[in-house]
Amino acid sequence: MVEAGGLFSALVTGIGIGALYALVAIGFSLIYKITGVLNFAQGQFALLGAFLVVVLSTSLPFWFVEVQIPVYAAVVVTILIGALLGVLLERLVFRHFIGEPVLSVIIVTLAFVGIIEGGSRFFISAQYRAYPQELQPGWSLSLPLDTELQAPFVLGVALALLTVAALMAFFRYTVLGSILRASASDQQAAMVLGVSIERTIVIAWALSIAITSIGGILLAMSSGGVGYTIADVTILVFAAVVFGGLDSIPGAFIGGIVVGVLRQFGVYMGEFLMPGLDSVFPMVFLLVVIMLMPYGLFGTERIERL
Amino acid sequence: MSATADEEPPVVELDNVEIVYDRTFLAVQGVSMEAEEGDIVALLGPNGAGKSTILKMISGIGRSERGEVTRGSVYFEGEDVTNADTKEMVGRNVTHILEGRRVFEDLTVEENLRCGLYRDGRRIRYDNSDYEIAFEYFPQLEDLLDVEAGYTSGGEQQMLVISRALIHRPDLLLLDEPSLGLAPQLVVDIYETLRKINREEDITMIIADQNAKRTLEIADYGYVLENGQIELQDPADVLMNREEIKEFYLGTSAEESRYSDIRHYKIRKRWK
Repeated sequence: MVEAGGLFSALVTGIGIGALYALVAIGFSLIYKITGVLNFAQGQFALLGAFLVVVLSTSLPFWFVEVQIPVYAAVVVTILIGALLGVLLERLVFRHFIGEPVLSVIIVTLAFVGIIEGGSRFFISAQYRAYPQELQPGWSLSLPLDTELQAPFVLGVALALLTVAALMAFFRYTVLGSILRASASDQQAAMVLGVSIERTIVIAWALSIAITSIGGILLAMSSGGVGYTIADVTILVFAAVVFGGLDSIPGAFIGGIVVGVLRQFGVYMGEFLMPGLDSVFPMVFLLVVIMLMPYGLFGTERIERL
Repeated sequence: MSATADEEPPVVELDNVEIVYDRTFLAVQGVSMEAEEGDIVALLGPNGAGKSTILKMISGIGRSERGEVTRGSVYFEGEDVTNADTKEMVGRNVTHILEGRRVFEDLTVEENLRCGLYRDGRRIRYDNSDYEIAFEYFPQLEDLLDVEAGYTSGGEQQMLVISRALIHRPDLLLLDEPSLGLAPQLVVDIYETLRKINREEDITMIIADQNAKRTLEIADYGYVLENGQIELQDPADVLMNREEIKEFYLGTSAEESRYSDIRHYKIRKRWK
């Protein structure tokens, strides 16, 4: 039955896993905040990051080249590749949609869902891949009431907080951060100050994919390896950002935590009530939020009508 | 180009320019005009005459709206910049103040001003001394720095967009309807300030406005556009005294009392 220790433990783990959702959600919010695009492939980018680490660090035959670099280097390289992918996508894809309705780019992200998943099945691996030992740290943080927070969650909470603080400072205190917010609010008025829209798109996607990769890697670490279920995080991220306000970075963080906790409570209650509550809770929450506060906690009133 | 070696070319010169939007809509036809260094040039005419379109093709922002110079040429300081994009023109120190007081509403006044510092993202450090040029001409902004721009008054917003442009340090400033929707006294103040800025900072200006009287008062030269073509052009003081201008734009014709009925008829006919 319900007891304090179990509830507290669910809360702690929920916050931990919520921080990982938060990282992916921050990536989502960044793109929306700067370019107005809802990225339906957010989970796929997390998946890609999680997979790349295994590919780079184990001698998995990778198509025709065989690479193997130290694990920690692989993590760094993965994040860099994520950023590079953002630059590449702008060059190859998004540039051609400047001036088109934002809906066309949203449809493009739907295409990414299939392309990334299919691509990684073909080029990387079609199965679950266990993470190397170095990325399965055994330590954990001891908390009161006999609860523990596993290493990936500890890292997740720390990195998510750090990312939120860094991004908030960037948007609040730098010229570039201000101009990015400015061009989100009035693109033409920003252009006559010398802003290039291509550049804002590059910044949005490069930062987003890099941060999302970190989230993906930590999600994989928390379950010991990477499988295609990681991509399902998209739907939880939607719940998180709708709650926080689509274009708010701190909102995405808080939303991620709330969704994580709800999910963990679902898992905990599912043990003696009925299974499946862990997927129900966050979605019921999403529905209630959309009905009661369509702009979320901190969102500006430019929400996309879905 | 007629400029000889010892003669400075005009800051901007349009040579028989035709502007087409969306490949179908002919907005401006056969327009030739120029702005000499240090001058204020007035671009007058009713709504839809092509004033904004001309400014937009000079600053390049018209390119992003599917506008194109299909005939003729645009020169900036003697160099051909026909159909150049905004990035290039900003690089040549051209700043465009768009119609409608386009402040960044959810940014504070200070953050709006900060955006004027943006140059290819190179500027990282800044402080309030960077805004001195703005505070010099619009001291009231200094008290509003932390206010969200969307909550300031129309006049303050107009001052803000002009200040933001000044911080951008332009050589050529394009202003689109700076008097629109402002109280008459405020218009007088803002225009006087613009004149002062023009003299003291040596910034060439092209002002497109429907308020012919105020604009010609501070301008050196004026053009009157109608249906995408230049109808009249003269030094501002000459233009201000021409009968057509008095009659249609200033409403101070000498024959006003005698022919008032006819005047009303003509105005309706030309403006609607």
